[in-house]
Amino acid sequence: MNSFLAKRLGQTVLSVWGVITIVFVILQLSGDPTLLMVPEGATQEEIDILRRQLGFDRPMIVQYGDYLWKLARLDMGVSLVQNIPVIDIIAPRVGYTLYLAFAALLVAFGIGLPVGIYIGVFRHSALARALTAVVLVGQSMPTFWSGILLIMVFAVSWEILPSSGAEDPSSIILPAITLGALSMATVARITRTAIIEELGKEYVRASKARGLSFAAVIRRHVMRNASIPLITIAALELSNLLAGAVIVETVFAWPGLGLLAIQSIEARDFPVVQVLVLLGSVVYIGLNLLADILYSVVDPRIKLQGGRP
Amino acid sequence: MLRKLWLTLHALVLAVGGLGVGAALASSDVLVIDLVNEPATLDPHKQWNPDSYYVYRNIYDNLVTRNTAGEIMPQIATSWKVIDDTTVEFKIRTDVKFHDGTPLTAEDVVFSIKRITDPEFKSPQLGQFNSIVDAVATAPDTVVVKTGKPYPPLLAQLVKLSIVSKAYTERVGDEELNLKPMGSGPYKFVEWQKGVKVVLEANNEYWRGKPPFARAEFRAVKDAATRIADLRTGKADLVVALNSDNAAEIEGSSKLKVLSAPTERVAYLMMNTQFGPLTDVKLRRAVAYGLDRQLIIDALLGGYARKIDVLLTPAHFGYVEGVKTYPYDPEKARALVAEAGYPDGVSVELVTAPVFDQRIVQAIQQQLSKVGITVEISMSDMSTFLKRRRADPEGFGDMVFGRWSCACQDADGVLYAMFHSGSVWSKYANPELDKHLEAARSAMDPQVRLKHYRLAHEIIADQVPSIPLYQAAAIYGARKELQWTPTANESLFLMDMSWQE
Repeated sequence: MNSFLAKRLGQTVLSVWGVITIVFVILQLSGDPTLLMVPEGATQEEIDILRRQLGFDRPMIVQYGDYLWKLARLDMGVSLVQNIPVIDIIAPRVGYTLYLAFAALLVAFGIGLPVGIYIGVFRHSALARALTAVVLVGQSMPTFWSGILLIMVFAVSWEILPSSGAEDPSSIILPAITLGALSMATVARITRTAIIEELGKEYVRASKARGLSFAAVIRRHVMRNASIPLITIAALELSNLLAGAVIVETVFAWPGLGLLAIQSIEARDFPVVQVLVLLGSVVYIGLNLLADILYSVVDPRIKLQGGRP
Repeated sequence: MLRKLWLTLHALVLAVGGLGVGAALASSDVLVIDLVNEPATLDPHKQWNPDSYYVYRNIYDNLVTRNTAGEIMPQIATSWKVIDDTTVEFKIRTDVKFHDGTPLTAEDVVFSIKRITDPEFKSPQLGQFNSIVDAVATAPDTVVVKTGKPYPPLLAQLVKLSIVSKAYTERVGDEELNLKPMGSGPYKFVEWQKGVKVVLEANNEYWRGKPPFARAEFRAVKDAATRIADLRTGKADLVVALNSDNAAEIEGSSKLKVLSAPTERVAYLMMNTQFGPLTDVKLRRAVAYGLDRQLIIDALLGGYARKIDVLLTPAHFGYVEGVKTYPYDPEKARALVAEAGYPDGVSVELVTAPVFDQRIVQAIQQQLSKVGITVEISMSDMSTFLKRRRADPEGFGDMVFGRWSCACQDADGVLYAMFHSGSVWSKYANPELDKHLEAARSAMDPQVRLKHYRLAHEIIADQVPSIPLYQAAAIYGARKELQWTPTANESLFLMDMSWQE
């Protein structure tokens, strides 16, 4: 286990370093924020002065080295737009994004799992076909449309939920549904496939012959075996949800990191963008690592060796 | 599984019920405003974007201000006297107190001026104030301001200078001033939940009188459709930055109304006179004849924008009327295109960014295609767009659609940067025009300045380096009971708002 972890951690560091380097280069190539920070009609001299003060006139390799050196000392830098440490901007918003992502995951699994089980077990029924269609529609709707639609119905017309923001306890409902709908079909589909595969196996027939009820078979044996692909999906979908949250956060004015990312990219607030990318890649890679570790817990047959289960 | 579902449903119902109670507690003495983005900073000397301005301008007072009609009025300064071409003496109020109770004196005014003009401070607004070389408090109620050269727009620029407390700033430092602003204005800072909202409460000792609302909250809601939903559910009382389509949605409502005012933003089509096909003035005039500007205003902008024939608005000093104009005349346009040597038509590149109304860009493209000018649209994000805007003539593209705002309401802030041969924003060089712009910039007599600006406008109208498209209007949505007249400089002064009884 230890050599496995050590090797994987090494790979993680390498991957994260690769990601932040690529993003650094892309940001640099896209132009520096000086122009966005001066009023219309600023003279060339004023622009040059500001650029020099912000350090953007140094060669790229120098800026890169400076950036890595600061990171090594856990100095996340100062936001160019808000003039406060990046940590102070990101920390209060992390909670909102996590809350939204997990709530959406709950919605995705809460609907996708039961639907997936049903259409896996009763795959030829008319209800199964209808459910598949519903779940598929949910996944195909673009969030910037479904989001505002939900607001119009539940907030404006029926007035039972808030139209934006995170101020009330019930504010999470509409954004979570909008975001969770994206993953519902994937969860249902994976569940269905896993269940069908398991149902065809020997032990199912053997258990039924021993007198176990069908429901008990599903509950006690099939689900446990089917959970391996589901764990992968949960990890990957969580990463997807963190990305898809950008649009949902914009529509609902949900004060999470997605909205911050969009605003910071538009404003070329390099320090904030770079920390967000760092965070995102660490989370994504970390989730995959967690999924791998969970496999070995769920299925004793899987031994973890050097990174390939 | 089923049991878990049942419990979740129960929790949901409770949460929704709780909401009902919460809504009933919202008092009408809180004004909730939906902005597009949250303020970048509440330090008045560090920022250059409307979202920050909307908020901090209620926390701080400025040296002078503009009234609803756009005239410069006293605020902290009660009167001013021009001593000579480069010296102005201001008398300031003696009855103003900061929110912590300390009096506002000439020292604070001097400190504020010095702070924003200090190159080490890195204010993005430095360029608007660096004509000021010195400020001295000659008495507790007198400040003398000296400029390096005669600078007529001085007062117009000082409209934007907020007065901070010298003692407070020196005690807490710049970073803390940004996070916990303290001024002398009608509203006191309460808290800033990053990404969520800024909360202000009334300063009941305000020298101008009692503020109209007990509390004000500024929320950030990026999506326009969501802002409108907030208005309709009552979550917000006032929302900003609507376009004419949004306005149409609200117009029919019995609980809401549209508020709008023409601003000092000039929408223009600037052409590259130094490289490419538009170096030919005939072709530029063809573009001018080929555009049906009134149609764009009526069809796309809901009639909210106004037609202008010079690159300024009536809200600017230096605006003139009666200058040569180009009515919509596609026949003439086509003839000019052929005369310029393109009987089979010509292709030009139009550079723009998503923040500008793309319907207008496409309308321009469509209208010009009818007169033989094929427009290729190059869209990039704001940062890249600005890079191209400043590039050498070869990299500039042929046309740029943009909206210019100097926030100064003075012709110098627009024309000089746009057309002076030395400006990086200009793709036009005319020594005759340069002379007039420079003369207008250094003459203190408004009549002399107007004379030069008229001549400048005539040169621009004749040579058409840029076509004025329209004066943009700012559109807001509000509850019917809110009394407020928006202004040309887009200030969101809570003191000027009230609830209709």
